Amino acid sequence: MKPDIPVVLQHSFGKLLLEVAPHITAEYAVGNTSVIGLMMFMSATEFERGAEVRASENRTMRAIFDEAEGLVEDAGLQAKLAEAAKGQETSLLLSDLDASNDALKELLIELQSVIEETDSPQARALGARIWAFLSDAADARKLPYPSLG
Amino acid sequence: MEDIATKFAAYLAHKMPGAANVTVSGLSRIHGGASRETYRLTASWEEEGAPRARPLILRRDPVASLIDTERDLEFNAYRAFHPTGVPVPEPLYLETDAKWLDRSFFVMEQIEGCQAASPFSPDPYGELAPKLGPQFFSILGQIAAQDPEKIGLAATMEAPALDKCWERELDYWEGEIDKDTLIAQPIAKGAVRWLRRNPPPPPKRLTVVHGDYRTGNFLFNDQGEIKSILDWEMCHLGDPLEDLAWACDPLWAFENEEKPGGLLPREEALSLWEKASGITIDRKAFAWWEIFAMVKGLAIWISAGKEYQAGANTDPVMAFSSWYCTDVHNRLLAKRMKAIAEGEAA
Repeated sequence: MKPDIPVVLQHSFGKLLLEVAPHITAEYAVGNTSVIGLMMFMSATEFERGAEVRASENRTMRAIFDEAEGLVEDAGLQAKLAEAAKGQETSLLLSDLDASNDALKELLIELQSVIEETDSPQARALGARIWAFLSDAADARKLPYPSLG
Repeated sequence: MEDIATKFAAYLAHKMPGAANVTVSGLSRIHGGASRETYRLTASWEEEGAPRARPLILRRDPVASLIDTERDLEFNAYRAFHPTGVPVPEPLYLETDAKWLDRSFFVMEQIEGCQAASPFSPDPYGELAPKLGPQFFSILGQIAAQDPEKIGLAATMEAPALDKCWERELDYWEGEIDKDTLIAQPIAKGAVRWLRRNPPPPPKRLTVVHGDYRTGNFLFNDQGEIKSILDWEMCHLGDPLEDLAWACDPLWAFENEEKPGGLLPREEALSLWEKASGITIDRKAFAWWEIFAMVKGLAIWISAGKEYQAGANTDPVMAFSSWYCTDVHNRLLAKRMKAIAEGEAA
């Protein structure tokens, strides 16, 4: 599909900001036009990377669950971790990737809550590993902000 | 717009029995302010045979908001602070009868010849920053220095026990996250659990907390004078460090952690606040409130996203807040929590 969708969104952002907004007189409409343009700019990046970001996060969470299984005493949680660790993506639709990402993050919260109550070097190391993942994942989702200077 | 102008003119005529031929002109909605619909306008009338005019601000409740607050709370805050020297617009009328403008609203003085900076600009103040910075942090200190009882706010606001200030705020904002989130929030929830495991020491005294003191919520003129502190809708009684941490949150400084508000070096800002408030900052408590500020921010952005997704409020600012601000706060908070977790694991 050409032109590429990010290219269309970025050019549209430029048109809105430089050619449409200056001709609008109502303050509220100018503000809205600028914000809509900014979100088009951000959407260009999200369109390109969205599936990869989600799939990558899901892979890492499954690896963490695989590592964590032996550290958890609760049989129910152990089983959930083992099941999730074996999982794979069955669809690359963003909505499906979001759904699996959400389910895995719910399980991650459950795991984090349990290991925070466990006083052992292994639990603390896993806790640090999970926060490192969350920090890396947040960095990978960083939204671009246009340089308007 | 014409409809609002006509209806509002009728309201003013009702409130000002001595005024004749009341008209409203120049009605224009102000962008931003996603918690209320905000309009600027000029009211004109005749009184004792002479023409009069006054620029006003009308703040009307929205159908759905970025934050859920009562407009009388904000109005009372303006009324309490107006005589204190803290610069705020003069509050004029509070109206809860929906017959006038369909929803509740209040009216206040319009501060002319001023602007508010965008919190999402890399350099919002340019060469005015060194002049605005000391005022910004000193005024925040002055707010903390006020006795809530003396200015009449203690009577209308719940006063938590000193050692419960943190818990009340954390309970509320965690509740908002749980109520409104549409997806799992491991960063916010992990930070909340840490905050509960590591409560801060209580403040020495209870103070008025503005609740949203930051870049974008004050007006300044071309001479670099702060003329008005706005947006008191989250005002409450609590720990003054809550306000200071929110004002210093890197979100309001284009992520610059060492120049809060994009105004001043961090230590200089904290020192100015201490001098104006008469309060010595407990650094451990402040670190707690800094993490709390990010959690509170996330709660607000999560709620905005829910309203937008549901179509209850399709103002683009709601979507932008939920995307961009969540992105920034998630990154900053995860980085902070990662450093703590690494320290605990070492």
